[in-house]
Amino acid sequence: MATEDDSAVKEPLDLIRLSLDERIYVKLRSDRELRGKLHAYDQHLNMILGDVEEVVTSVEIDDETYEEIVKTSKRHVQYLFVRGDGVILVSPPLRTS
Amino acid sequence: MSGGAGGGAVGSAKTPADFLKSIRGRPVVVKLNSGVDYRGILACLDGYMNIAMEQTEEYVNGQLKNKYGDAFIRGNNVLYISTTKRTLGD
Repeated sequence: MATEDDSAVKEPLDLIRLSLDERIYVKLRSDRELRGKLHAYDQHLNMILGDVEEVVTSVEIDDETYEEIVKTSKRHVQYLFVRGDGVILVSPPLRTS
Repeated sequence: MSGGAGGGAVGSAKTPADFLKSIRGRPVVVKLNSGVDYRGILACLDGYMNIAMEQTEEYVNGQLKNKYGDAFIRGNNVLYISTTKRTLGD
C-alpha cells in the first residue's frame, strides 16, 4: 500500500453507496433528525428515504427559572425526498448486530 | 511570499490538496459552521470537503453527545479539519 493511486481511492460518497437499501440516520439543519431506509441519493446528498421517522428537537427556556426544557416532536412519513443542502451528517443507525 | 506561515508542522504539504491527501487514516477534529465538533479517524474526503470518518464522537459545547461508528459529513458544513494527537484507548 505504498503507492497511492488516485483512481482507486474511494470518495466519501462511495461509502454512502454501501448504505443503499439500509436504514440510516440523517442529521439535518434546524435540529432535525431522520431515521429511514435509503432508497436513493446523489452528489448533492438529495435523498429518497422510505419508512421515515423525523424527530424535531426544540429547547425552550423558562422565563423565571431559566432552565432549559428540551422538547421533541416526531412524525412518520412513508416516502420522503430530502433536499441535500439541509443535510449535515449521514450515518448507519446504531445497531447491536 | 515565503512559506511556513502555519508553523510548518507538516513540512511536506505544499497545497491544501496535498494536506488533504496526507491526513487520511489519522485522528482528526472536524469543526462545523454550527460549532459542533466531530472527532474520529478520517477514512476519506473529497474536494468538496465531504468527509467520511470512523469511530466518530460528537461534541457540543465541549460535551460528548453522540458516538457514530461511521459518519459522513457534508462538506458545506465544515469549518475546518485539523489533525490531533488523539490517544485512543486501543
